Amino acid sequence: MAIKTWELDPKFKYEIAATPGGEEIMKCFQCSTCTIGCPVTEIVPSYNPRRIIQMSLLGMKKEVLESDEIWLCAICQTCSERCPQDVKISDLMGAIRRIAEKEAEEGKIEVKSVRPIFDKAFANQLRKYGRLYEMGLSLEYYRKAHKGLISGLMAMQKDYSKLGMRLFKHGKMGPRSMLPEKIKRTDEVKKIFEKMGE
Amino acid sequence: MAVTKLAYYPGCPSGTHAIEQDISTKALFEKLGIELVEVEDWNCCGAVEIEDPHLVYALNARNLAIAEKDNLDIATPCSICFYNLERTNRALREDKDLSAKIRGIDPALDYKGTIRARHTLDVIVNEVGLDEISKKVVKKVPLKVAPYYGCYIGRPSEIGFDDPDNPDSMDRLIELIGGEVVPFSQMKTKCCGGPLMMTKGDLAFEMTKKILEAAKAKGADCIVTACPLCHMLLDAKQPDIEEKYSIKIEMPVLYISQLLGLALGIDPKKLGLDKNIVSTKEIERKVI
Ligand code: SF4
Ligand code: SF4
Repeated sequence: MAIKTWELDPKFKYEIAATPGGEEIMKCFQCSTCTIGCPVTEIVPSYNPRRIIQMSLLGMKKEVLESDEIWLCAICQTCSERCPQDVKISDLMGAIRRIAEKEAEEGKIEVKSVRPIFDKAFANQLRKYGRLYEMGLSLEYYRKAHKGLISGLMAMQKDYSKLGMRLFKHGKMGPRSMLPEKIKRTDEVKKIFEKMGE
Repeated sequence: MAVTKLAYYPGCPSGTHAIEQDISTKALFEKLGIELVEVEDWNCCGAVEIEDPHLVYALNARNLAIAEKDNLDIATPCSICFYNLERTNRALREDKDLSAKIRGIDPALDYKGTIRARHTLDVIVNEVGLDEISKKVVKKVPLKVAPYYGCYIGRPSEIGFDDPDNPDSMDRLIELIGGEVVPFSQMKTKCCGGPLMMTKGDLAFEMTKKILEAAKAKGADCIVTACPLCHMLLDAKQPDIEEKYSIKIEMPVLYISQLLGLALGIDPKKLGLDKNIVSTKEIERKVI
């Protein structure tokens, strides 16, 4: 893919550096240590964290934010641990994903991955109950990822009926998991989201 | 042994799919003579889904502040909760502006930075110590064990409590109770794909399959782990992985608190061993 120089956004790297987690991006000297040790690259060879950083530094904002790759990172910290320049790639990927989520919400880019839907549904449970309500998370995620309650429930049934039975049989999915476990002072958690949430 | 009481942070899966980790941790600590006081009204640590570090810090400032009021160090059996609690602890100590900003949100977040956040495995190995534990061992566990550490126990090294490349805290416990550690250094710290489970399941399955197959190839009787997300994939999802790839693994996956509990003579029921998905009967039988 040829780089369209006229489409580059030289400010992109500063935007990443100003996003918590992305501060160290400019230190990268492109050695590839991160990619060599990445457990995702081992399975999906096209996944290349070094290249994502290079593209970001060049200002290929749209390509980076719309790429499927940024949603493949397992946040495992292997790269961050090994990087000779202390780039903290694991956190950096998170910063790039959050920029992508924001731009997608503003309708500026298109994100194909369902991961932002999942993360959002997770945050919603937390904001509401103060703890993770797994059933609520699954319902919201499947409904939104499959665009509708019925199709969502069908997909959920397909993915989870066997696992659900297994957990139920071993006493891991009792009444406690059907209902949310709500903390007492949810107002404090709500405030955190209001003041800290992007 | 200095520690006699800790603030206990169970983490969200403790009531659902990681219930056996919660039960066995409590039983084990009772046996070790450490009182666990559950953090009153604790909130979720943000897991790996809350990606904004500042939001994670604010959420965990609340948990840390509650434990700090009782003047207790906080301990959790979940590697992800541990990572979030301890990185918050560090960030708030180092960044005074950020700490002031978070404190300004609500008095409940007024954390002064006086306690430590620890993984229960760290407390067991480095606080109680092997000498003390060996005095309490009443049964031999002559098993071949694959210790799987996953990500946050040693990585990133400024947060982790064990070696980032070759952690050995579980190895030492296994050997102490008469077990044999199978050669597993290639796999010990390789990510199981947990954070991708819901949104990129195929990839997560591939990643977990490698760990299961390696343990099997090394002749392990079981895998031990110290994180509910790793356990979810390795144990609860193991039948799905077997089905998807038409392979047979049948590898029991125990929490380290369960395996150690057996050696200390705790009843298998009290360790929640009936709740593991892959049967642990063979393991229980071999404990003498
Ligand atoms: S290891 Fe660090 S310096 Fe090397 S390419 Fe990756 S991010 Fe850049
Ligand atoms: S954190 Fe992401 S990019 Fe880094 S090694 Fe792990 S999966 Fe690869």
